[in-house]
Formats: sequence, C-alpha cells, structure tokens
Amino acid sequence: MAKKISKKTLTRSFHHWFYGNLTCFSQEHMQTFGYLTSMLPIVEELYDKKEDQAKAMHTYTAFFNTEPQLGALIVGVTAGLEEARANDPEGVDEETINGLRAGLMGPIAGIGDSLIVGTLIPVILGIALGLSTGGSPLGAIFYIVVWNLLAYFGMRFAYFKGYELGDKAVEFLVGPKGQAIRKSISIIGGMVIGAVAATWVPINTALKLRNSSGKVYLDLQNQLNSVYPSFLTALFIIFCWWLMAKKNMSPIKVMLLLVVIALIGVLTGFFDPGLKY
Amino acid sequence: MTISWLQAALLGLFACLASMPGMGGTTIGNYTLGRPLVGGLVCGLILGDLKTGIMCGVAMQLVYIALVTPGGTVSADVRAVSYIGIPLAMVAVHAQGLVATSAGAANLAKSMGTLVGTIGTVLFYGTATLNLVWQHMGWTAVEKGNFKKLYQVDWGWPWLSHLVFSFLPTLIMCKLGASAVTALKIALPMDGIPMKTLFTVGALLPCVGIAILLKQIVTSVLDFVPFFVGFTLAASLQLNLVACAVISLIFALLFYEGDMAKLAKAAGGLATTDFDDEDEEDI
Repeated sequence: MAKKISKKTLTRSFHHWFYGNLTCFSQEHMQTFGYLTSMLPIVEELYDKKEDQAKAMHTYTAFFNTEPQLGALIVGVTAGLEEARANDPEGVDEETINGLRAGLMGPIAGIGDSLIVGTLIPVILGIALGLSTGGSPLGAIFYIVVWNLLAYFGMRFAYFKGYELGDKAVEFLVGPKGQAIRKSISIIGGMVIGAVAATWVPINTALKLRNSSGKVYLDLQNQLNSVYPSFLTALFIIFCWWLMAKKNMSPIKVMLLLVVIALIGVLTGFFDPGLKY
Repeated sequence: MTISWLQAALLGLFACLASMPGMGGTTIGNYTLGRPLVGGLVCGLILGDLKTGIMCGVAMQLVYIALVTPGGTVSADVRAVSYIGIPLAMVAVHAQGLVATSAGAANLAKSMGTLVGTIGTVLFYGTATLNLVWQHMGWTAVEKGNFKKLYQVDWGWPWLSHLVFSFLPTLIMCKLGASAVTALKIALPMDGIPMKTLFTVGALLPCVGIAILLKQIVTSVLDFVPFFVGFTLAASLQLNLVACAVISLIFALLFYEGDMAKLAKAAGGLATTDFDDEDEEDI
C-alpha cells in the first residue's frame, strides 16, 4: 500500500517552517535547523523504524539557506519527494533530494529577495506610510494585517503547491510566464518606490544669493522647483545608487559620506534646517 | 520623557521577537515587528506617546525601506533600529522640545536611529555566533537519533542567545541612553554646527535606503523609468501613494500583456525549447 502524508502532518510541517525557519540561525548552518524541524513530522509519519527515520533525517542535515517566505515552496517539494522515497527507495535517494534542494535555493533566494523583500514589502510599507500622516496608527495596523495575511496564506499556498507539483512548481516561477509576471510586478514596485521617495524624502537647499542691498536675487530652491520638483531628492538618490551599484561602496560608507556632505553643506550655508529652541 | 525599567524590559522583549534571526519567526518577527513603522507603534504604546512613536517609526522606516539581507550580510540590525533607536529618538524629540509631526523631529529621529542601528550590527553577529552552541547540541542529538530535541534547539535555546544579545543590550541602552540623550540638549545647541549637521544627515539618510532598493530592481538604465514616473506623479502632480499604486497597475498590465504576446508568437514559431534551467537540473 502506498504511503501518503496526511494533511494534518503537512500542515504541521508547514507551521514548523513558517515559525522556525530562522529562529536558530548561525552563519555556518543558516536555515538548516529550521529545515530539520519542518521535515521531522513528515519523516516520523512515513517511517516506523528508527533507523529509517535516521537515514531520512540525515538527508536534511545538509546546508540550507534561501529566502524563507518563497522558500516554503522548496520545503513542500521535498515533502513530496520524501513521500516518493518512502514508497520507492530505489527511485529517489538522498542525492536526488539534496541535488534538487541545492539547485533550487539559489534561484528561489534571488527571486524571493527581489520580489518579496525588494518589492512586495516596500509597496505595502509605502502605502502604509501614506496612511500614517499626522502620527496615525492606521498605517502600521494596515501593514501588520495585510503583510501577515499575504505572507501566511502565500507561504501556505507555495508549500502545498510544491508538495503537489514537485519541481514543476518551480518551473513556473523561473519560466517565461513567471518572468513576465515578475517583470510587471517590478514596474509596480519601481513606481511606488518613486512616489515614496518624492513624498517622504524632502531635501531642500537654503542657499539664497543677495545683492548689496540685501535683496534676494537667487533663491536656488525656487529655481530648482521650477525646473523639476524635488530635484535634489532625485539627485541624491541617484548619487547613492551610483556609489553602491557602480562603485561597490557599502551602505555604511555611503552614510558616512553623507555625514561629510551634510557638514560641508551646513558650513557653506547650502543646508540649513532652520531650527531654534 | 523618561524610560522606566519596566518599559525598557518590555522593549527588550520585543527586541528578542523582532530580530533577524528572531524568536517571533521571520514573517511575524523580523518582517512585522522588526519594521520600524510597526516598531514605532509598539514603542509608542509602551512609552505612552503614540503620536511621537509613529512619527519616529515613519521617519526610520524610510531609511530602512529596503532592509534586504542577501546572503545573511547586514548593514543594520532591526532590533537595534526599532527597539533602541526609536525609543531614544522619542526621548530626544521630547528633550529638544520639537513638535512630533515636524520635519525637524523626523530628521533627528533618522540620525539617532541610524546611528544606533549601525552599532547594532554587533548584536546580529553575537546572536548568530551563540546559536552555534545550540546547533552543536543539535548535531549531537541527531547523531544519537534523539530527533525530538531538535525542537528545543530550534525554538527553545536561542532564547538564551537573545537574552544576552537582544534583551540586555536593549534594557541597558534604553535605560541609560535616555538620560544621555536628554543631556545632549544642554551640550549641543540646536543652531550650532553639530546639531545642524545631524538634522541635515537625517534628511539625506533615506536616500541610502531607497538606493539600496533601486539596486535590487535596476539592472539597466531603462529600469529607472518606472521609478521616475512614480517620482514625478508624486512630486509634480502631488498624487498620494495609493493613487500612484493604482496608476502603476495599468503599466504593469501593459507590460504583462506585451510579454505574453511575445511569448505566444515565439511559441508559434518554435516548439517549446525555452526551458534552459531544466537542462541544468538533469545533469
């Protein structure tokens, strides 16, 4: 009789991943222990003998690290593979499972980082920031509810799709249709981030040139606004991007450079927050 | 504004939950409680000033809008940003007598929080290193076939790492930092060069966060176009974020339809030979 993992055990395994994927993180093993705890209920259900369990668990002691949200898909895929191995130990072995796992964690990490952490979260945060005007808690509550619902049900969906479809589920993500979807989502991400920058990052210059009678003949900020509103904000963002993407500077170094720029700007009167007690 | 031991301890507990790697899990911990916007709400509730909390959280969130940690490298630590940086920023805003919703308060919060967040990176490496001890216990248990112990290793023992590297640092820094931040007011006048620089840095810092995000989505110069369309909608047309998001949907749809049309055309001409990564997996 073919062995089948019960729905209850799959759900337990998913919850173990949902909660514990990174709780015992170290630079050396990263998500390996989260993986072991998610596979344990499945292994215990599929194998009765202690040595079979030990043999199966040994597979998952290999190093694992990916983007944990989208990575639920990989855990689902291996749950399906473990079931196949329990039914046909000749067809699926430790190497098959670990080869697939190692092959998937890179692409899934790349897609997950840009799609979820780099696009989805900033878009929800951007909208939430818009709801926080004047110190309203609405934005934070909006983010908590929307993100957690999307993440929980999205991860659950990914896990069970992975279990049902195996590596076909991944083909969809990296395939041409998946790529088209990802590209269009990145358009939404780019536009919303642009709007967040323009709305929430005001950079203004205080530079005004006066003639001998004290009359202002050049108000730089006004001039810039008539060319392109928020010009300095755009300029500084491109500058930071250029330093990090083209000059490979670390974010901390860029921040330190901004401190220097701010100091020079204040000394020359280019920047003046205009605050007093 | 002062921070009591009890308040500092509560902040410490949230720091344990919100870290990366944290005891609240990735989704609820790091990506919910760890976001400065949510941290602002929590700190506001704990310290009894919701408005200042939220405004400091909003300001900090801009700096850390893209807290991507590719390959486990971090440039700032969320527990330090959200549960040490925000409380101290709130105290500083009160000490300087700034209005919570003013640009000055936001800029002060950004400088203060970013400084603490950067220092907090030490906490990340501390936690990850101490976890090695529990993982070692885990390997021994696996060798012996004592698998139930894995649950303790993954969910239980890391609490001790957080007691040392999240709870205690937050407790101490919030408690002692509050008086240090208040003393700053006397030492540094607001119209002096250091404070002016601090406020200016605060205004500039979110550019780094947004640039990190751009680094994720921009692979060619053309990828800047959506960013600047969104930027222009908000800066020149004064549209709010929800409106910009709705407009972006139509562009996303157009691109999707365009790509799908291209695919359909390609599939008509050629048989399906475009699964290049399938080949790699077979080897």
